[in-house]
Amino acid sequence: MSLIELKDASFGYNQQDIFKGISFKIGKGEIFCIIGPNGCGKTTLLDTILGILKLRQGDVLINGSNIQKMRPHEIARQIAYIPQAHSKTFPYTVLDVVLMGRAAYTGIFSSPADEDVVIAEEALALVGLTRLKSRPYTQLSGGEGQLVMIARALAQKTPLLIMDEPTAHLDFKHELTVLETIVQLINDTNLSIIMATHFPNHAFYFENNNIKTSVALMDQKTFSQVGRPADIISEENLMMLYNINAKVVSCHIGSGAELKQIIPISTIS
Amino acid sequence: MYAVRKKTIYAILLLSPLVFIFLSLFIGRYHVPLPAIVEILWCKLTLGYCNLPDTYVSVVWDIRLPRAILGALVGGCLAISGASFQGLFRNPLVSSGILGVSSGAGFGAALAILIFSTTSYIYVFAFFFGGLAVLMSYMIGRVYNTTPAIMLVLGGVIVSSVFSALISFAKYVADPYDQLPAIVFWLMGSLASARFQDIAVAGIPMAVGIAGLLAIRWRINVLSMGDKEARSLGINTALSKGIVISCATLATAGAVCVSGIIGWVGLVIPHIGRMLVGNDNRVLIPASLSLGACFMLLVDNLGRVITGSEIPLGILTAIVGGPFFVYLLKKTKGGGW
Repeated sequence: MSLIELKDASFGYNQQDIFKGISFKIGKGEIFCIIGPNGCGKTTLLDTILGILKLRQGDVLINGSNIQKMRPHEIARQIAYIPQAHSKTFPYTVLDVVLMGRAAYTGIFSSPADEDVVIAEEALALVGLTRLKSRPYTQLSGGEGQLVMIARALAQKTPLLIMDEPTAHLDFKHELTVLETIVQLINDTNLSIIMATHFPNHAFYFENNNIKTSVALMDQKTFSQVGRPADIISEENLMMLYNINAKVVSCHIGSGAELKQIIPISTIS
Repeated sequence: MYAVRKKTIYAILLLSPLVFIFLSLFIGRYHVPLPAIVEILWCKLTLGYCNLPDTYVSVVWDIRLPRAILGALVGGCLAISGASFQGLFRNPLVSSGILGVSSGAGFGAALAILIFSTTSYIYVFAFFFGGLAVLMSYMIGRVYNTTPAIMLVLGGVIVSSVFSALISFAKYVADPYDQLPAIVFWLMGSLASARFQDIAVAGIPMAVGIAGLLAIRWRINVLSMGDKEARSLGINTALSKGIVISCATLATAGAVCVSGIIGWVGLVIPHIGRMLVGNDNRVLIPASLSLGACFMLLVDNLGRVITGSEIPLGILTAIVGGPFFVYLLKKTKGGGW
């Protein structure tokens, strides 16, 4: 059985459709990358999967149950969310932030128990940030901050993570750290991930690391194509999606492995 | 180690307001010796007979004690609501009056003075209009069944300015010989008229508000992550926000209706708390309660003794609190801000 399934999902405000007729399913240990131009509705689609916005038509099923009929804490035990840019307000310690991942398991008038602290510390260890647990999270670098958000999501103990452009604003090293963490998590814990990204190369990266990867191109308010990265991320498709000239190249990265990358060349006027 | 430290902190938080209340019993123009105070407390609490001059008993038991208890409650309420609102609105510049409860209560009090020319209806009117102002801000801030922080703050600003204008209007039409001074003095804040019956009446909303905020304090951490993240972490944001706002309003309106408008406490005490115990609301909320109570007692005692006549509380909180806050800011170098 698939972990999550969207059936003919549509959403819009008033008369205007944001997206329509989107269907897909994901199994355990798979990663699903959604690629599309700015403003195509990726974030809105993620919000409906999270149950924050209600679909106009269609269903989101997680483990067979309909997300629209679930309460917030029930959803949060199935799906965790990692925001694109988290706006920091108060200088909470790293551990306090990760502990908030336990909200779905904590009553409205209670505080997290000792077991929750243990789970939060395990989540921090999984992303390799144990040494920073007492630091104010406002003082961390962008990459470390994103790892804290991943740890908070892991503390939710969900089978599915949703990431909205998790590597936006990160430098090369931090971007790779986040990607490596994602690969390691999928290998170790069999998580599934839905990820909106501006970088088609991320899909190649996951495929290269032997993770079952699918790519969806979001265009004209729906998924125009869905499939394996090698089939979907092509020069022709990027030309249609972004109106650009692009080139797919391939290079050897040692020990017989080969890495595919797509390089944007120029816009088409 | 951590558990021991936590227990010590909570013990200090609980004990310090009690110490301040006890010390307040000594302070004042009329001197009552220590043994007499202890004896009065003992015989009153054990419901025995006090073999002491009536003036001693009346000064300590009927005047200073209710005033000290009420002062502690008022200070604690203003500070705990301020801390909760700062977390809820994700903004450290917010205070307990952000949703208009103070202006609303001020108008209610002014209206009661205008209509009845006595002070007896002030409580009811101040409490009612304080609550009404918050309700109006909430309705204004509500869009599509959600209450974004910025809309709530704007609602509060609008409602506050309308009620401020109404207060000015009330002053304008008031009789300048008795009503106007009554309104002006009420707005400056005072605990001078505190009696046990005030604690019995206004203490109920204050106690309910405090209890609610203490219970929900960890949720405020999660709410301070913003609506979308809080929701994705599994929180019913509308319900949690509603409870925080209702409890903070009960506490503040209960405080304001007995004390008048006392600024500054609801803004600065939470910050002093942040510098001392950090930003985790699990500790910050009880710390604000305790610090607010101590600060209010300190200021009220000063106001009673510095000059021959009492200085209104609303004036002294800023004069005493301002320099103290600057000192703490410099000492902790902002404490992570």
